[in-house]
Amino acid sequence: MTPALSCERLSFAYGGRPVLRDVSCVVAPGERVALIGRNGAGKTTLTRLVAGLERAASGTVRVGDWDAGRHRPDELARRVAVVFQHADQQLFARTVREDVAFGPLALGVPGPEAGVRVAAALAELDLGSVASEHPYDLPPPVRKLAALAGALALAPSLLVLDEPTTGLDRALRARVARVIRARAAAGCAVLVVTHDVAFAVEVLDRALVLDGGAVVFDGAIAELCRDPTRLRTLGLREPPVAALSRALDLPGRPVRIDDAAPIVAACCASGGLPYIGESHGPT
Amino acid sequence: MSGLHPYTQLALATLLPALAWLVPGPRAPAIALAAAVALVLGTPRPLRRLAAVAVAAAPFWLFLFLLHPPARAALVGLRLTTLLGAAAWVGALLAPGRLVEALVARGWSARAAYLLGGTLAAVPLVRAHARRIGEAQRCRGLATRGALVTRLRAVHALVLPLVLSVLHQLDERVLALETRGLGAAVHRTPLDPPADSPAQAAARWGAAAACLAALAARIA
Amino acid sequence: MTRLSLERVSFWYPASDRPALCDVSLRVGRGEIVALVGNVGAGCSTLLCVAAGLAPRVTGGRLDGRVECAGPETAGGGRVLLLPAPWTQLSGMGVTVRDEVAFGPANLGWPLERIRVAGERAMARAGVADLADRDPLTLSGGELQRVMLAGVLTMEPALLLLDEPTAELDGDGAAALWAVAREEAGRGAAVLVATSDLDAVPDLASRVVWLADGAVRADGAPAAVFADDAIWREGPGGPAVADVWRAAGLAPPWPVSVTAAARAR
Repeated sequence: MTPALSCERLSFAYGGRPVLRDVSCVVAPGERVALIGRNGAGKTTLTRLVAGLERAASGTVRVGDWDAGRHRPDELARRVAVVFQHADQQLFARTVREDVAFGPLALGVPGPEAGVRVAAALAELDLGSVASEHPYDLPPPVRKLAALAGALALAPSLLVLDEPTTGLDRALRARVARVIRARAAAGCAVLVVTHDVAFAVEVLDRALVLDGGAVVFDGAIAELCRDPTRLRTLGLREPPVAALSRALDLPGRPVRIDDAAPIVAACCASGGLPYIGESHGPT
Repeated sequence: MSGLHPYTQLALATLLPALAWLVPGPRAPAIALAAAVALVLGTPRPLRRLAAVAVAAAPFWLFLFLLHPPARAALVGLRLTTLLGAAAWVGALLAPGRLVEALVARGWSARAAYLLGGTLAAVPLVRAHARRIGEAQRCRGLATRGALVTRLRAVHALVLPLVLSVLHQLDERVLALETRGLGAAVHRTPLDPPADSPAQAAARWGAAAACLAALAARIA
Repeated sequence: MTRLSLERVSFWYPASDRPALCDVSLRVGRGEIVALVGNVGAGCSTLLCVAAGLAPRVTGGRLDGRVECAGPETAGGGRVLLLPAPWTQLSGMGVTVRDEVAFGPANLGWPLERIRVAGERAMARAGVADLADRDPLTLSGGELQRVMLAGVLTMEPALLLLDEPTAELDGDGAAALWAVAREEAGRGAAVLVATSDLDAVPDLASRVVWLADGAVRADGAPAAVFADDAIWREGPGGPAVADVWRAAGLAPPWPVSVTAAARAR
């Protein structure tokens, strides 16, 4: 099966400074991958290469069976939808609904079908109640969701999200998580650029870690989270549940809330945990 | 040229179009334009800047030749292009920070000085913002290359979101500046006032005098 | 000693009938760090603007109630607000980071030497001393946010207000910023920070204020505030560790940090 995204020995330099070195990776349809790394590691550059906004110095990026280096971004929009970090640079229309419709209409999708896609994307993110609002009248985190809806309406086979959770509260993060799971289950490959490792471990399966422009880890995200030394050297924050597992030596070393909860319940019942309960004093 | 006091830079940039307009005859605008072009050639990326001036001037030239006899059209065209060239030069050279410092050193309040300088400072930020919006639109399927119609449509799609987002950011920008003391009733400390010299001051007065003389000659 | 005191403050933005803040009373003392949490649109940013003296003075609108900020008598009342997006805070006046950082104190009319010393110290504390000669426009979002932090610290505020300060920062950057906030409190400043990073709150703040629909729903120690199930059902929830205990069906109060969970009674 053709991978949704495949990078082969990708290198890119910006003004003489190497930003990506010999990066290779493959993302299959339906996979949920986190692209992790500290600021400046090359994550955003990689997304720009995938979107066709930059050309690699050497190596190839293939989106499906297309070479991203040989196609324009507007052509690649038929396969890959990218949501960049700052929503304010991606909202173009006077209402949220019009903005979400921008993509399908630009791709030449006939009106009625575009309408269906727009309605579906708005429903997926619970944005129906604000669909007629001007994007700038909405709080900044909700604008981020509007930008995401615009990408979903493109019906991509590869969805690339750059820092989708910064500034979002729990409820909005849950909406993003739901969309990622649903789209992946439907066969879309999802690549999420983030330094929010805690969100990544809850929602995504695989981690691709960049450090100094090179791939230093490509495997199960749970495995990465169980290695605090490695996380530290990469400048990443250990997710709280992983830290908890380690501190309490929980059996099975769960790294997700839903995996840790029953273990903690069992340990508490058997009296195996030090924390009993505290009165309302300072920690 | 970039070491000149901002007042001098502004004076020079005003002098050229003023002379082009005030001094009668076709030679003055031609010389002034040549001077403006020479100045622009001294800036970084001169060819791109000249191309921008040409592109900005083109529609005016077109309409002038459609509406006026050639001699007149050429005259007005030269004057307009001189204005654009001078604006391009001063836009390249005038650092907003230096202008604000110069104004503050002369006694302007920080807020007033910033109003003037801040608009200039916003230009590279707005340009970067426009580029990002354009990229995002392309990533959502908007074709920007190809036929002229396509390109025009792409520019059209860019303008309104750019203006709206810039205006919107203005609110937040004002908060950020005010919290850093911009509205304070205290006199702002000049950090690095641009150096002025009697020669430059004399040159500025000379430029003003030249303009007045040209105006007087024209009226007389 | 109280640095910031809001007494029964209600605030309406211009041309809006619905109050953005409803009868809010809040105090922040010297050396205290208070975390402001709430759902999107709850009014945390508005509250910070009011505390900074920017609302209604700059934003317009109507304010009822009393806002008092006690601090050294510097222009601006000794309080500064750091906003989440660094690009909109850039003054554009500085060709170098050093100049950009000096923007604030220059506006306050400080003598040059004091500006220079305060600037060097602030840049060192914000971790941008090695960027001092760079052009701010060439910096990444994370670097620029730390420069803006330096720009705010250099004004030596008695009240430091932070609105989602770690939005652009990665793990290391965020940890460094919280460390700076703790240092400021250690030097006697009062710190009020609105954040959605609930895992950082217990180690950072001695008090948490939960704001919902413009009103204060809770105000207390982190363990107490996050022990209330309401904040999970209707509000922003709490730290992941507490979430584990809650999901396990155990009775509150729940541990709010790994250290709390590991501590033997």
